[in-house]
Amino acid sequence: MDIKESVISILASNKPDVLARIAGTFSGRGFNIDSITANITRDPRITKILITTHGDQDTIIKIEKQLNRLVDIHQVTDLTSLGLPLREMMLIRMPMTGENQDKIMEIVDRYRGEVIETGAGYGVLELAGNKEDMDNAFAALEQLGIDDFARTGSITL
Amino acid sequence: MDTIGADIVLQILQEEGVEAIFGYPGASSLPLHDRLKDSPIRHYLTRHEQAAAHAADGYARATGKVGVCLSTSGPGATNLVTGIATAFMDSSPVVALTCQVNTSLMGRDSFQETDIVGITLPITKHSYQVNNVNNLASVLRRAFQLARSGRPGPLLVDMPRDILASRCEKADPPEETPSSAAEKVPSNLDQLGKIARALNMSERPVIIMGGGVKLSNACDLMRALIEKGGIPFTTTMMGVGSIASGNGYDLGFIGTHGNELANSTVHQSDFILAVGMRFSDRSTSLIDEFAPLATIAQIDIDPTSIGKNVKVALPYVGDIRETISALLNLVESRDRSAWLQRIQQEREAKDFCLPFKGCGKAGHLISMIQEAMPKETIAVSDVGLNQIWTLRTWKARTPRGLITSGGMGTMGFSVPAAIGAKIGMPDKSVVAICGDGGFYMNIQELATLSYYKIPVKIVVLNNRHLGMIRQIQDLFYEGRFNTIELGNHVDLVAVAKGFGVPAERISVDENPEAALAALARAEGPHLLEVVVDENDYVFPIIPPGQANTAMIHGVGD
Ligand SMILES: Cc1ncc(C[n+]2csc(CCOP(=O)(O)OP(=O)(O)O)c2C)c(N)n1
Ligand SMILES: [Mg+2]
Repeated sequence: MDIKESVISILASNKPDVLARIAGTFSGRGFNIDSITANITRDPRITKILITTHGDQDTIIKIEKQLNRLVDIHQVTDLTSLGLPLREMMLIRMPMTGENQDKIMEIVDRYRGEVIETGAGYGVLELAGNKEDMDNAFAALEQLGIDDFARTGSITL
Repeated sequence: MDTIGADIVLQILQEEGVEAIFGYPGASSLPLHDRLKDSPIRHYLTRHEQAAAHAADGYARATGKVGVCLSTSGPGATNLVTGIATAFMDSSPVVALTCQVNTSLMGRDSFQETDIVGITLPITKHSYQVNNVNNLASVLRRAFQLARSGRPGPLLVDMPRDILASRCEKADPPEETPSSAAEKVPSNLDQLGKIARALNMSERPVIIMGGGVKLSNACDLMRALIEKGGIPFTTTMMGVGSIASGNGYDLGFIGTHGNELANSTVHQSDFILAVGMRFSDRSTSLIDEFAPLATIAQIDIDPTSIGKNVKVALPYVGDIRETISALLNLVESRDRSAWLQRIQQEREAKDFCLPFKGCGKAGHLISMIQEAMPKETIAVSDVGLNQIWTLRTWKARTPRGLITSGGMGTMGFSVPAAIGAKIGMPDKSVVAICGDGGFYMNIQELATLSYYKIPVKIVVLNNRHLGMIRQIQDLFYEGRFNTIELGNHVDLVAVAKGFGVPAERISVDENPEAALAALARAEGPHLLEVVVDENDYVFPIIPPGQANTAMIHGVGD
């Protein structure tokens, strides 16, 4: 069966055990969560959670049904078929010396990123874009010596 | 006395109509157990929390009402786990009340602290931990409502000791919910029309009923549908008893240990109407070879049950009672004499070569037990050969008259579940039928029976072995017996008497009439041990990993 990336958007009560229940729904079926992003909505009692995962259509549908059965989940939407743009964000700390600064800036500009902090010989970069661009930007910067980084899960609407 | 959280718990239990609960105390539950002393709610102290959970489950299965069990924190709560999982697998409405250490001690590995909400996440329909006494009433009301609504199941409410001991106001009466008395009409009549047309057009239809039919109290409507359409039916293990046996359209139950006629009819059918069942592996065996010729229509209240295991051409999500009452108008009777004749011929051929439905002497004995007991007796089976013997030979007369752990197959279920059933249905006789292995697993409940003088009758079919496992080793592991012998060094009659339960032993070869009469007559609990040959198996049976048509027979069948 066709294995592909799926994006599931969930509106759930903002409660301590909700994430555990959602995660259990995936892990109970041997499914991996590739990325996850969550934040409250306009109504602070409700959280919006975006999950990307890999699986065949059949299993994804089963997972959605199971999620819908959870009492604290209000809405589950499969965004995959809509083909909406997915975006993620990276923060990268790396040495910025005179020599590699130009090369770094060239990459940052190419991906429309930003240097959001500079310190003694270090800089923190912020980059956002689709997964492929972020992979490429990361690989290019890696050549120049990344010190530490954080990357969010994908979001979409 | 000031009102405290514990009083709120009891107030809501009473409001929900709870008359009896099953539990075990400990430090964290003391505020509640203290207030129970002056409450009209009866608390049965089982001898193990697992038994309290099974008793609540048995109570729920026998009455259709929510069963309640109660434990302290830590080991008390973890002891409930098997019982909660058993209720979950069979969609039984249970509320498990667990007490927790004080809020200030939580998260510190305190004495008897355990994350019971976390442990039971995958085996509850939902769970709550209450962290404010003012929420206690609404959480408990919601728990009861969730346990019995939609697809029923177990709810767990974890209550820290300090919350139970906190002063508070009596709970306000529940908000009036607008009554849903008006007959609900199924929403998607189009789809229902399609199902009816497919059923009406089919030449070799069969209906499969699961436990959902009983849960939705739709057995009468299903019988009407079957009789109106002239459609043969089978059930899953959980559906056994939905329609009183002896009905001419009854094929027995399907699956690994089911009736050959049911399996073979489903295999030949061109249309299956599945109602309140999930096509579990126990029912379908090798899924790829299940009912290859049939178009499948499935009705269930739980969307996750639909298409979970098989491809369903005509799904329908809805309450079974409402759906079937609408479907009833759309179904036409049709001449299917060729199909019914074919089934009848097969039935006669199979009955002829399979006395007592392949259950041998034990099966014969079980039918004699039923004859000796009052007509409306509730039978509670355990797990193992004894379960299959009971399910195949006990003639269920009412939907809730035969109780079994189907989805979980929990050994040790029968005696505590029978206690719950008897407490819930005091006017009916209750008999637990178990194997020696399963009997040992909750043997301590004999003390509960004798202490409260609960007149549950127990029949132990003692083959001195884990019979069902022995049969598998015999047939599929070249007879290399291992780890299945329980031995005959224990005098079960003396053990029962030691617990204060009168008991008697017979052999399955003896005339059991006198012993059965004593069992039926006993005014208190009573145990009958029946010595059975360890080579008496269940036939036919489907080898692991094979199709429903691959039933194999024993010698002489
Ligand atoms: C709690 C539990 N442990 C293990 C099993 C696996 N099991 C299924 S049937 C069976 C043998 C049951 O033996 P007994 O209770 O003596 O019944 P018999 O088959 O002999 O009638 C076992 C061990 C189970 N179903 N439940
Ligand atoms: Mg045995």
